[in-house]
Amino acid sequence: MDHFERQLTQLMHGDREPAAFEPRHRERLRAGVRARRRVRAARRAAGSVLAAAGLGLGLFLWPHSGVRDEPSAPHPWPATSPTGPAAPTPGVSPSVPAAGVTTSAPPPTDTTAPTDTPSATDGSTAPSSPTPTGTATATPDAGTTRSATHGSSGDSTATTSPPSTPATGGTDPSDGSSAGSSAAAGSAG
Amino acid sequence: MEQARAGEYDEFVAARWSGLCHLARLLTGGDRHRAEDLLQESLVRLWFVWPKIADEAPEAYVRKVLARAAARSARRRWWGERPVEELPEVAAAGDMSAIVAERSRLEAALALLTPRQRAAVVLRYYQDLPDRQVAEVLGCPVGTARSHAARGVARLRELLADVIEPVG
Repeated sequence: MDHFERQLTQLMHGDREPAAFEPRHRERLRAGVRARRRVRAARRAAGSVLAAAGLGLGLFLWPHSGVRDEPSAPHPWPATSPTGPAAPTPGVSPSVPAAGVTTSAPPPTDTTAPTDTPSATDGSTAPSSPTPTGTATATPDAGTTRSATHGSSGDSTATTSPPSTPATGGTDPSDGSSAGSSAAAGSAG
Repeated sequence: MEQARAGEYDEFVAARWSGLCHLARLLTGGDRHRAEDLLQESLVRLWFVWPKIADEAPEAYVRKVLARAAARSARRRWWGERPVEELPEVAAAGDMSAIVAERSRLEAALALLTPRQRAAVVLRYYQDLPDRQVAEVLGCPVGTARSHAARGVARLRELLADVIEPVG
């Protein structure tokens, strides 16, 4: 520290002007503290409001965005479900395990029994088509057996075809017999 | 609790008011009103941290707030400082108000420094802080603080050449 710096230090310390802490200073300080407290409270309140608004907005937008991501329409189900009466097919099909039972099941149900009997007469074909025939013949009639013949080659189509075919093919049993023969052919193949 | 806190705070402020006022005046280059504003702002901030630092170093806290606020507010706003060729209010020889004039010379010279230089010089030569603490108060590296102080002193050496006569 050279001479100038020492002089500078003395000058800074020496020219100290006495100042007293007066009541007006105290009042001013109190007012400043109150003002700052108000500002802090307002800032905190604004922050809370903003946080709540952001949270609400997020919650509001959350489910919409989730729905938007999903497909709007349900998956296409097999045509049997909308046709109504055949709806129980998924439930019925497992209850009817074997083809031999199919012949006994239809008679108590309704008048379709006579139409079904020809398929029963095709009992020779029944053993040839083991499980799929049982599922298909449970509901309607010979038409189903015919579908079962298709089902022997492709099992899932057995349930889809019945509702469309029975309207036309179910009327004449000859169709059913022919179908049965074809089923035998299909099962053999 | 609040009363005790307020009592301790008032006691501290009353005891240190004069010194803090002087420090604020030096930091602002002699602007009395701005010095009061800065000191008030610093003391208000001290009130909110008083329970934490009452037993530690409240004066160091106020000093730091003052120095940083002085530098920041000077950067943020123009306070009417204007460099001039000649310093005003030159004291006449044998004048009764020589001391006051000398103080005015010092404050006027300080006002011509940049806020950072002024703060570094004041902290270094009025508060007698080492370079490391000056840097800590200003929130800058030690080399930067040393540089500010050195440039400030060099500038003051030019400005106050006739007030502080060289030796020999």
